[in-house]
Amino acid sequence: CLSLPTPPAQLPYVPQVSPMALLGKVTATTFALERPRCVFDGHADASDAVWLAVAFANASAAFRNPLSRADVPLYQQLPTARSYMTLETAATAYSCSAPSPAVLRVGSDTACRDQGRQDPCNGPLPSPGPYRVKFLLMGCGGPKAETRWSEPILLRRAASPSTIDPAPPRRGSAVVVIASILASLGAALATAVLGALGAKVWGSLCHQDLGTDTFIRRSYRTHHIPPAPPQPLPPGCGCSPPGLCHSAPQAPAPCQT
Amino acid sequence: MAKSDDCVHILQGLLVFGNVVIGMCGIALTAECIYFVSDPHGLYPLLKTTENGDIYAAAWIGIFVGLALFALSILGIIGVIKASRTLLLVYIILMLITFAFEMASCITAATHQDSFTPELFLKQMLERYQKSEPANNSDNEVTKTWDELMIQNHCCGVLGPSDWQEYTSAFRRTHSDADYPWPRMCCALDAQRLPVNLDGCKLGVPGYYNSNGCYDAISGPVSTHAWGVAWFGFAILCWTFCVLLGTMFYWSGIEY
Repeated sequence: CLSLPTPPAQLPYVPQVSPMALLGKVTATTFALERPRCVFDGHADASDAVWLAVAFANASAAFRNPLSRADVPLYQQLPTARSYMTLETAATAYSCSAPSPAVLRVGSDTACRDQGRQDPCNGPLPSPGPYRVKFLLMGCGGPKAETRWSEPILLRRAASPSTIDPAPPRRGSAVVVIASILASLGAALATAVLGALGAKVWGSLCHQDLGTDTFIRRSYRTHHIPPAPPQPLPPGCGCSPPGLCHSAPQAPAPCQT
Repeated sequence: MAKSDDCVHILQGLLVFGNVVIGMCGIALTAECIYFVSDPHGLYPLLKTTENGDIYAAAWIGIFVGLALFALSILGIIGVIKASRTLLLVYIILMLITFAFEMASCITAATHQDSFTPELFLKQMLERYQKSEPANNSDNEVTKTWDELMIQNHCCGVLGPSDWQEYTSAFRRTHSDADYPWPRMCCALDAQRLPVNLDGCKLGVPGYYNSNGCYDAISGPVSTHAWGVAWFGFAILCWTFCVLLGTMFYWSGIEY
C-alpha cells in the first residue's frame, strides 16, 4: 500500500446520538449513535474500513489521525491518550444499499475491559465524559476521509440511594380524622361507663330509693295463681296510693326488699 | 304502664338489631383480615423490611376483634332479652376492651397507609435487590418478590427502568451498566423466562422491555388493605359506640 499524500477528505456529516426514542441510548457507560448511511459512498473502496474515533471533549482538538492500522490508539489507552478508536467496520456496511441495524452502540463489549486484550475493542466508557466522536475512513494507505466531530456527549451520572428521602411529604388528613373521632368516642364510652357505675355505687352506698328508676322488668313466667285470701301487708311494703290495697289480684307494685 | 312497656320493647328490639349488625360485621371483619393476612399478592416481604409490617399486625388484631365482636354480640342479645344485669355488665366491659383493641388496629392501619410513598420502595429496592452478600434471608426474599412482581405485572423498577440508571444500587455493584442497564426481568421474556431480544432490551427499544414502573402494582393492593382495615373498623366502632350507649342506658334501667 502506498501512503496517501493528501489529507483525508472532510465529509460534512456530523455524528449524533440516535434520535430514536430509546430509553437506553445514553447510559452511564455506553451510548448509541445513529448509523451513518450513505456517508462514505464515493470515497470508499470495498476493502476500506470505517473506524469510530472517541475522545474526551477537551482532547478532540488534539486528536491526530493514525497513519495506518497499526497506529490506531486502543481502548486501553483511553486514560492516558485521552482518545481511542473502535468499531472497525467494513465500509460496505455503511453504504446506501446495505440493510443494517439503526444504531451503533459504543461500549457494549464488557469482555474488552476485563481481559488484557491488545486489539481494538469496544469497551464501556470509564467516566461520564463528555466525549466527542467522529468517523474515520481508513484505507490501506491511511485515512481517506473523516466526518466532523460530534457535539459533546455527556453520559449519565448516578446518584446514591441515600439521597432518597422516604418520609411522606405530609400526614394525611384521614389519619387525623380517624384518630380524633375514635379517641373521643372511646373517651365518651369510658366516661359513660364510669359515670353509670359510679352512680350505682353512690346510690347503694347512700341507701337511696332508686325504685322509680327501674322500668324494665324481667319476663315473668305466667302460671295459674288461684285467688289468694287477703293477707296483711308486710310492714315495709308500700302501696300506691297508700290506703288503697285491694285483695283482688293486681300487678304487684315494685317493692323495696 | 303499657306505654313504657312499648318503649322497653322498642329499646330491646333496637339493641338486638344493633347486636345482630355487630355480629355480622365482626364476621365480615374477620374474613377481610384473613384475606389480607394471607397476602395474595406476595407483597409481605417488601413491607416487612421497611418497618411497615405493622399493617399486618393491624390485620391480625382485626381477625381476633372480629371473632370477639361476634361472640359478644350473641352475649349481648341473650343479655338484652333476659334483661340480666350480670350478663350485660360482662358484655359492656368486654366490649370496651374489644373497642380499645380495634381502635389501636384502625389507627395503626391509617397511619401506615400514609407512609407508602414511591421513595420508600425505591430506596429499599436499590439497597436490597440482588444484594451480593445478603445480610439475612430477607434480602433474598426481597429479590424474589421483586422478580416475581416484575414478571407478573410486566413492569420494571418503582417508577420505571430509569430508576436503575439514575441511582447506584446493590444490583449495579455486581452487574455492569453496559451489560445490565436494568435487570433481565425488565426485558420482555418468553416462556422460558429468557429475553426475547437482549440487545433490544439493553437499548430500550419499545416492545422489548417493560417501560412501566411497578409502584401501581404495589400500592394498589397495599392501599386497599390499609383502607379496608382502617375504615371498616372505624365504621364498626361508630356503630358499636351507639349500641354500647343504648346498652348502658338499658342496663341502668333494669331492676335488681
